[in-house]
Amino acid sequence: MIASLRGESLKSRKRWANWILFGILLLTLLAFGYVLTYVILKNPPRNFESRVPASVLKRQVFPENLLPNVLSSISTIGAAIMIILGSLSTASEYGWLTVQTILIQKPGRVAVLAGKLLNLAIITLLIGIVALGSAALTSYLLVTIDGSTSSFPPATTVLKGFGALWLELAVWTAFGMFLGIAFRSTAAAIGGGLTYLFVGEALAAQLLRDTPVFKEILKFLPGVNGGAVNASFGLTFRNPNAGTQLVDAARGSITLLVYLVLFTVLALLIFQRRDVAGS
Amino acid sequence: MAQTLAVETHGLTKRYSTGVLAVNDLTLLVKTGEVYGFLGPNGAGKTTTLRLLSGLLHPTAGSATVAGAAPGTPASLARLGAMVETPAFYPYLSGRDNLRVVARYSSVSKSRIEPVLKQVDLADRARHKFRTYSTGMKQRLGVAAALLKDPDLLILDEPTSGLDPQGTVEMRALIGDIRREGRTVLLSSHLLNEVELICDRVGVIAKGKLVAEGTVDELRARSGGTSLLVRATPLDKAQRLVESFVGSGVRVIDGVLAISVDPSQAAAINRRLVSEGIDVSELRVSEQSLEALFLQLTETPAEGPKP
Repeated sequence: MIASLRGESLKSRKRWANWILFGILLLTLLAFGYVLTYVILKNPPRNFESRVPASVLKRQVFPENLLPNVLSSISTIGAAIMIILGSLSTASEYGWLTVQTILIQKPGRVAVLAGKLLNLAIITLLIGIVALGSAALTSYLLVTIDGSTSSFPPATTVLKGFGALWLELAVWTAFGMFLGIAFRSTAAAIGGGLTYLFVGEALAAQLLRDTPVFKEILKFLPGVNGGAVNASFGLTFRNPNAGTQLVDAARGSITLLVYLVLFTVLALLIFQRRDVAGS
Repeated sequence: MAQTLAVETHGLTKRYSTGVLAVNDLTLLVKTGEVYGFLGPNGAGKTTTLRLLSGLLHPTAGSATVAGAAPGTPASLARLGAMVETPAFYPYLSGRDNLRVVARYSSVSKSRIEPVLKQVDLADRARHKFRTYSTGMKQRLGVAAALLKDPDLLILDEPTSGLDPQGTVEMRALIGDIRREGRTVLLSSHLLNEVELICDRVGVIAKGKLVAEGTVDELRARSGGTSLLVRATPLDKAQRLVESFVGSGVRVIDGVLAISVDPSQAAAINRRLVSEGIDVSELRVSEQSLEALFLQLTETPAEGPKP
């Protein structure tokens, strides 16, 4: 597995697509989640209407709200990017037929995929660290520029928040990786994953959450459970626009863990048993 | 290698989920240290067999031992270098980085990379991206990756496929070098002259079954060996005359009589034809071509020996 991990890390590091995805994630988080939000709320337009004054709302970009802001900013775009990242890591191997090149080296199939999984777990961890770190730095700069005072949450809370962030990113990465192996096509894996994310999760969850039958189904979706985990890291001010959660944070965390294991096991089973038949 | 067989299969069978029986009850024995040519027309089951031996496909039935272990297991893969169907590498990586990836997977020291790049004559282009490589360079990189582990057994699937004449010659020379290093080579091909030139033994596969096996000379002898080619005018009269004293085994191919007789009868046949007023403009002995033999063995209508 270590041999496979070393091979995977070299491939990941040298692949521009991974860096571009990471750049988009970071840019989206910092630009939309911090800088633009701050600029707009610092100088709200005349027609700005909110039940919470802009002067209060702008505190969401300050250090005290580091976790809820990062988690909410990253939840959708982060999920999309991690699905693409996971899909690319596996589906490309089928597109280029390199899956056969790596399978005729020394490690067995389980070790090959375990190395790939571990590599993605490490990448996800690094993305989480850099995202949280850069968000912390940006929030510190903004509060300094604003001339206000705000302090970061306690270290234990930050650790919990980081754990939640990593778990959500890891679930979507594993989902993308599973789709890549299942479809053996980059386009199908990414297309299927993003369609599910934006139609199945985002749209359906919004439209059907008040329908009793669908409400029970929605409680099992990863996005809904991720949202519940995110909501447990609340803003320091009351936001009446925030919706109610269908499940609590504990159940959300457990459901996400189950999905992580499920996608991983399914990917392993398919990868180990299926023939590599070539072009 | 301690064992005398590098590859051993018994009743190896692969039926795809589509119902296609690609390999049918194949028993194959490749001796350690030999270059074994796996010959067959397109779709005969060559690549499927090599995929089974590399562990890329799971057999439907039968068993196989490759480099002393079951195919696809780390013990087998550690002693096996393979290039199956097409050299597949990461297009965004250079040739050298692709070999680094392979070396990492194989737990091979990166110090092996430069020697194999030199061996396949790719050192000068190793820093360029794989996607910029010509077919020949891709093939050579595939061989380099297969050699990286310093394997006892090398499996090469159509190694000269897509190469220009010069590339083909270079690849054959490379396989010759590999053979001289004492490695076992199992290569597939549908090019008859290729296996004739570089293989110690040949196995002919058709419709998933091994239909013949032996050295090229043994296979030729089994198929009837030599024939006599006679260019004569008028041809129809010559054919009737020859058939009258030779019997069957006379065919007309491209305006030339192909007679399946002992070449020592050439002078007698010439005398009879001339004495009957038939002009003989050419008379020569032709060995049964491997191509004709191949077509015969794989059940495609044979054209007979080439004039």
